[in-house]
Amino acid sequence: MTVPPLVLVVEDNALVRGALHLLLSESGFRVSLAGTVAEALDVCSREVPRLMLLDLTLPDGDGLGAVAALRERGAMPPVTVALTGHDDPDVTARCTSAGCVAVLVKPVPARELVRRVREWVAEPAG
Amino acid sequence: MDASHADPSRVISELQARDALKTQFLANISHDLRTPLTAIITHAEIMRDGILGDLSPRQQDSVASIIAGGRQLLQMVGEILTYARGAADQLPLARSTFAIGDVIASVLTMSESLCTRKTLSVDVRVEDDLPLLHADRDKIAHVLGNLLGNAVDFTTPGGRVWVAATLVDAGPSAKCLVEVGDTGIGIAPEHHELVFREFAQVDASSSRPHHGTGLGLTIARKLVELHGGEIWVDSQLGQGTRFYFTLPFVRAY
Repeated sequence: MTVPPLVLVVEDNALVRGALHLLLSESGFRVSLAGTVAEALDVCSREVPRLMLLDLTLPDGDGLGAVAALRERGAMPPVTVALTGHDDPDVTARCTSAGCVAVLVKPVPARELVRRVREWVAEPAG
Repeated sequence: MDASHADPSRVISELQARDALKTQFLANISHDLRTPLTAIITHAEIMRDGILGDLSPRQQDSVASIIAGGRQLLQMVGEILTYARGAADQLPLARSTFAIGDVIASVLTMSESLCTRKTLSVDVRVEDDLPLLHADRDKIAHVLGNLLGNAVDFTTPGGRVWVAATLVDAGPSAKCLVEVGDTGIGIAPEHHELVFREFAQVDASSSRPHHGTGLGLTIARKLVELHGGEIWVDSQLGQGTRFYFTLPFVRAY
């Protein structure tokens, strides 16, 4: 039996983090959690996740700062998706140029999130 | 601040600074309100989707109401955030090229079931060969959604709602004129300016039949003006309402 792909949820609010953990783990993924940029770097140093769902406002810095740091360390997840509080063309542009494949506005409908996470983890690495 | 002795220009700049602070607070708080709402809605959707086990039909109904209430609240919080960011000039436009008819069709799809429930008939007239717009599609959809939402809200069952788009003026001053009309309760002429003012509701009593943030038309005006257009209303009490807005045809670069 194959090991399910690892999804890292980086989100500072414990309630939202808990909800995403429940949704994704019950949908068959392995899930790691991080509440800060430092925790995200720590998780990725142990195992590079297949997919990182990244909140942008974290207590110890900008979520996109984690992307830059991970790339530098060669521990960048193959797919990173930004989760933001509101739809803002400037934010979207910043995320895209940082290497995020998508920018989703919270709350992403549960079914849609699971469907898209399945697609992202199935994409060939690279 | 003792306004009676202070230098008027200082008083004005002090008041402007406080107003800006209040707007920023509104933007921050509405942004922060979304976070717990995200947790509530996601947990409710996990239950609705049976991820934690099957629900009885009554439990399904109850959970569906949590989600509907949560989404409604989220939408209102979103309106307050858009208003605050508009007031602070923090609403950048993301322009793309599109046909106004497509936006009208997608906004109408969203209110279709409500119109059916209220037995309202809906007409759309989009002039043939209208040039494409180069504008922020989501923001134009937001304007149309707010105007159409009002039209549906304030029209009694059996009434009529319509959306029309035509070309006005020619050459460099050519504009797209959009009309959202209804056969609803109407607005007295003395209230035409008031309806665009923030937090205004013509009937401000707590028993008023129509609820909302009171920001829909303020936001619509801001978004139209950001595009260099104008918005106005033509109505009489009891004779329906027609909102109009224009959008210049900006060249795509």
